[in-house]
Amino acid sequence: MSRERHSVFGALVVVFATVLITVGFVVVALIVGPDIQAVLVRAVLVTLVIFLVILFLRYFALLWFAYLGHAERNVLGVNKHHEMPAISVIVPAYNEGELMERALASLMELDYPEYEIVVVDDGSTDDTLERAVRWEGRRGPVEVKVVTKRNGGKASALNAGIAASKHPFILCMDADSYLEPKTLLRAIEHFGDPSVGAVAGNVKVENRGKIITRLQALEYIEGLNMPRRAQGFVAAVNIVPGPVGMFRREALEEIGGYETDTFAEDADLTLKMISAGWRVVYEDAAIAWSEAPERWIDLVQQRYRWTRGILQAIRKRKGLFLKPFPDFPLWISTIQLGFEALVWPVMNIFAHLFFAIVALLFGAGELIVYWIILLTLLDLVAALVTVSMEEESLSLVPMALIYRFVFILFLDVVKTFATIEELFKLDMGWGKLQRVAGTQ
Amino acid sequence: MNIIDILVTIVVVTILVTIILAVVTYVAYKLRLAREPSSLDRSEDGLRYFVSYSPSGTSDPDVTAEGHATEA
Repeated sequence: MSRERHSVFGALVVVFATVLITVGFVVVALIVGPDIQAVLVRAVLVTLVIFLVILFLRYFALLWFAYLGHAERNVLGVNKHHEMPAISVIVPAYNEGELMERALASLMELDYPEYEIVVVDDGSTDDTLERAVRWEGRRGPVEVKVVTKRNGGKASALNAGIAASKHPFILCMDADSYLEPKTLLRAIEHFGDPSVGAVAGNVKVENRGKIITRLQALEYIEGLNMPRRAQGFVAAVNIVPGPVGMFRREALEEIGGYETDTFAEDADLTLKMISAGWRVVYEDAAIAWSEAPERWIDLVQQRYRWTRGILQAIRKRKGLFLKPFPDFPLWISTIQLGFEALVWPVMNIFAHLFFAIVALLFGAGELIVYWIILLTLLDLVAALVTVSMEEESLSLVPMALIYRFVFILFLDVVKTFATIEELFKLDMGWGKLQRVAGTQ
Repeated sequence: MNIIDILVTIVVVTILVTIILAVVTYVAYKLRLAREPSSLDRSEDGLRYFVSYSPSGTSDPDVTAEGHATEA
């Protein structure tokens, strides 16, 4: 059996087993007597309360620390550093022909005195290399280099770009993203602190014309950037995002650069950096605009890779789970990643499914409705706060009405299947998302 | 049917339909992945059918890219 068929077969087994267990639960619930059914309803109540407590604690902690991070930078104006050392911008690309030139055009407009651009063609089979070579050379203060290599994945492309670069600070980005003019200026400010090894930037969704992309836009603000803002307050951001991350060359060299054994090289590198004692902070004004998947099947592909990649990065450090010391920051970061990727999606699905089935079978519907209303209100408030902190469009806030019970639930199902596949080490590949260049 | 019953129906249907659609989309993604062609085997210099021609009249097997790009 080919590797791809092996993976599909394994995935179908996973789906079938999950459906079987769910149906089995429903059948058992139907055939047990009324006493057992009463126990099940009470179990719903207890589960609901526990779930709500965890949810509220999580939201409160994230929002509070995110606000402290926001206040520290934007209100008190601490940690501003005004030297502007030269920066190398690394752009790894594989078959990004349509979007490559837009990325390079944005890099020409950066508001920064000295930087170079290193484009790494990772063995593209389209015209990516030809398009990049047209930009090669010196253009005013900016030097553009192009490097080509045999296809080896994003991590190896980034390492090749770092090796070909020359400046003491490195910004790694994606070829399908573009940076705002002040991104380098804002990110470099944090490196005045010699213990800072990396700065995570702010990734925003560019294409917001469809409901699916507007939901992702809200997710990036509330679900990705808000936690990063909270983690940044304690200088322990656990993922420096691929579209925009700036690094101190010394830190990258100390940890040996990117490793090629996971599909989430950004998470893996960040954990290595934290483990080496470097502080990893967040800068909300270092902005990269990225194109989000516009089809649900492409979204599945993206999140499937993210989940398995993160779990691969965690698996490399599985010995840490029972050892909070001596590397406590790394332990916290790994536990948090594991909780968000592994535990929370399963809890979320279980809670929703459990409540839906019990509501259908045992008439606990009124309880469920009040719970839904409460959570929706929480989501609306969280959306309003986070959208305001990022000075984003308030038109995204109404998306919170379907954010949790449609979008997040959908993603949690995908994450759960990806987790099960990773646990059984089924084969996977990068795949290639279909792009729609230049859409808004 | 009162408002609570209507809301319960909407909530339960939404949850179940979302989960089912997620499962279906996941299966569709895996099937799409299985139908994608596997990577072509490439020769050592990355060329499959052609050998690059250089003006000196001899073939240059070290040339693998256009322009002045450096090979990593």
